[in-house]
Amino acid sequence: MPPEGQRGPGSPIEFRLDAASGVPTYLQLVQQVEHALRLGYLKPGDQLPKVRDVVASLAINPNTVLKAYRELETKGLAAGRPGQGTFIEATLSQVALPELATLHRSLLGWLASADVAGLDEDGIVALFSSALRDFFDRRGGHRDSRGGASAGTEGVA
Amino acid sequence: MTALNTPAPARPATTPPPVPWRRLAWVSWRQYRTSAAGAVALLGVLALYLVIMGLRIRGAYADAAACSLAAPGKGCVGAFMLFDNDYFLIAETTAAALLAVPALTGVFAGAPILARELDSGTFRFAWTQGAGRTRWTLARLALPAVALTAAAAAFSQLFGWFFYPFFAGREFAQASAFAPIYFTLTGIAFAAWALAAFAIGAVAGVLIRRVVPAMAAALAAWSGLLLATLLYLRQHYQAPLTARAGQTSLSSWVIGNWWTGPNGRRVTSEHQIIALLNGGVHRGYAQWAIYQPGTRYWHFQLIEGGWLLALSLLLIAATIWIVRRRAA
Amino acid sequence: MNVIETSGLGKRYHQTWALRECTLAIPAGHVAALVGPNGAGKTTLLNLAVGLATPTAGVVTVLGGLPAGSPAALDGIAFVAQDAPLYKNLSVADMLHLTGNLNRRFDHGYAQERLADLGIPLKRKAGKLSGGQQAQLALTLALGRRPRLLVLDEPLANLDPLARHDFMAMVLAAAAEDGMSVVLSSHVLTELERVADYLILVSGGRVQVADEVDGLLARHRVLTGPAAEADRIAQRLSVVHARRAEAQAHLLVRTSGPADPVPPGWEAHRVSVEELVLAYLREPGAAALPGPARTQQAQPTEVSR
Repeated sequence: MPPEGQRGPGSPIEFRLDAASGVPTYLQLVQQVEHALRLGYLKPGDQLPKVRDVVASLAINPNTVLKAYRELETKGLAAGRPGQGTFIEATLSQVALPELATLHRSLLGWLASADVAGLDEDGIVALFSSALRDFFDRRGGHRDSRGGASAGTEGVA
Repeated sequence: MTALNTPAPARPATTPPPVPWRRLAWVSWRQYRTSAAGAVALLGVLALYLVIMGLRIRGAYADAAACSLAAPGKGCVGAFMLFDNDYFLIAETTAAALLAVPALTGVFAGAPILARELDSGTFRFAWTQGAGRTRWTLARLALPAVALTAAAAAFSQLFGWFFYPFFAGREFAQASAFAPIYFTLTGIAFAAWALAAFAIGAVAGVLIRRVVPAMAAALAAWSGLLLATLLYLRQHYQAPLTARAGQTSLSSWVIGNWWTGPNGRRVTSEHQIIALLNGGVHRGYAQWAIYQPGTRYWHFQLIEGGWLLALSLLLIAATIWIVRRRAA
Repeated sequence: MNVIETSGLGKRYHQTWALRECTLAIPAGHVAALVGPNGAGKTTLLNLAVGLATPTAGVVTVLGGLPAGSPAALDGIAFVAQDAPLYKNLSVADMLHLTGNLNRRFDHGYAQERLADLGIPLKRKAGKLSGGQQAQLALTLALGRRPRLLVLDEPLANLDPLARHDFMAMVLAAAAEDGMSVVLSSHVLTELERVADYLILVSGGRVQVADEVDGLLARHRVLTGPAAEADRIAQRLSVVHARRAEAQAHLLVRTSGPADPVPPGWEAHRVSVEELVLAYLREPGAAALPGPARTQQAQPTEVSR
């Protein structure tokens, strides 16, 4: 049987692919690393799965993995060590747990209002994505080259 | 432009050294193994038969010959006639059957080599390997060709041993080694005809691209060639001689004979034949034979072996040429 | 270096041109997918590249300028034809020996390791293996030659989903390890986007698209908006394929990049490889080839109710 899993000598995480999500593959990998960092599965110093292992278990193009790892390098989250692999260098800014709880609660409140106003789930997502974009555009913050988030709607009249 | 980690280090674009023949020989042997085993089994069975029957024949011949030693000068017509009665038919039939051996082994060995590759599509594997299709074809053809020719040569020696009592010079020798069928089975002709069958099979295989039709076509072509040789070609390797019938030696090949009448001209009309039958021999009718003398046997063997070899090499070269030109 | 480069390449069988005016340059270091309907000329193109056929017109060179089919080309390219041809009466071990003896370079250790991983017994006759195992064996033999370019003709056609996954995983892992380039043909579009980063679309014997996938996806998008304005948009932008209903139209356009402004009143959507391929296949006159663009203003063709 082919070797399952991507655990080389020491990557704490494994990637998975959501083929139907519409999110470009390399972006899914980036997001999974960031997510793992947030949740604590990955810490600075940990090794990301080897390109060859990711490719062997997901059957995706090696350049896709390379692109994802380069993206992480650009974001300053990871760095490649020649001959050894790619390692986590930094962590995402952590938000304290109580603050997270507060934000979660206020978000639920907003969702209740949106629901009352008559928006359904997709409407809420569309509105939120648009506001998200506006916010970061105004802030001049980092947007990845593909135009970010999920379903890919890029412009609304 | 994105690229994979490190594209494979550029190897020098010089022509790489060719794959050694030894390795190709293994390939040829491995793929030939099963049919070779079959051929060996078949020839083995036939050889066994020839040996067993041959020993019996020689035994009986020795008995008949003993008679002439016991009563020298009297002749042993009776003993030899009995011997011929008992054994000549078997020997003759065996000889005719053996004519099929070079045809079948050659065609069965030669035709499938390329026909099967083309029919099953494995040529798409074989011809994209590093060795290249020319070397591959040469190796696939050369090994069986040589093996087949050697086996046929050995076999024809065995046949010569088997049939010897009927060729040997004696009062009522029934057969000449120069006669059409026996000539083909002895000397070097047998091996040459086997090689020719192989070569015809090979070229049929690459042209027809299906195993059974290629074998059938090759068999038909070979048979046609043999027939043409027996009936026409072979007589003319050298201009035949003419002599009075009965004056040709036992080892010569009498191609045909005719009668001449008292006027010295050929007997053609019916009533002349009737006159002849009513005791015309004493009235100036004579029988003549057109023949090739026995001394020319090896000369003819070399001629026939020679042109068959040349034809075989030509056909094999043609096969390789066709392989080189073949599109998918 | 270009692994396959053609110029005006054409192949005629009897009276029909299977491939015409094919000009391509597939760069090294990619997994290139050759896509198109059955009979489009994919197998012909691959056969020409690996030296199984000779061109009727034009030129094809491989691995940076070597003539296709030359000894150096045969040395560096491994080919697995459709239906993975093998000698059915030989054992797996014999096939390994055979391939080793037909090539200058063969990594027996690698091949045996792969076969052990796959659970393919060495003693079994190749003809007795399952379809998936035969494909895997053919691939192992090809990869054991350590080629610079691997060419696969419809490798996944008869494989079940698991076998397909395992097959492609092996191909891609070898590409990742050795920097081997891959060109594979397929008439199945799903999974293409994950696997290929270079796309060649062949239809009716001609090449319609030949470019990197990233670039293609960046330069194409679907614009959705009022059907009434569709014609006006088509004047300004290069429309590959249009689908119209009474009120709404979807236009698959080719732009100069993601920063191209979206016409007011219209939405822009990211396009998938599958959508892109289908659109081009529906418009035989359209092409997206690098270099001087053949701009084709496609006429709206499909009306959906």
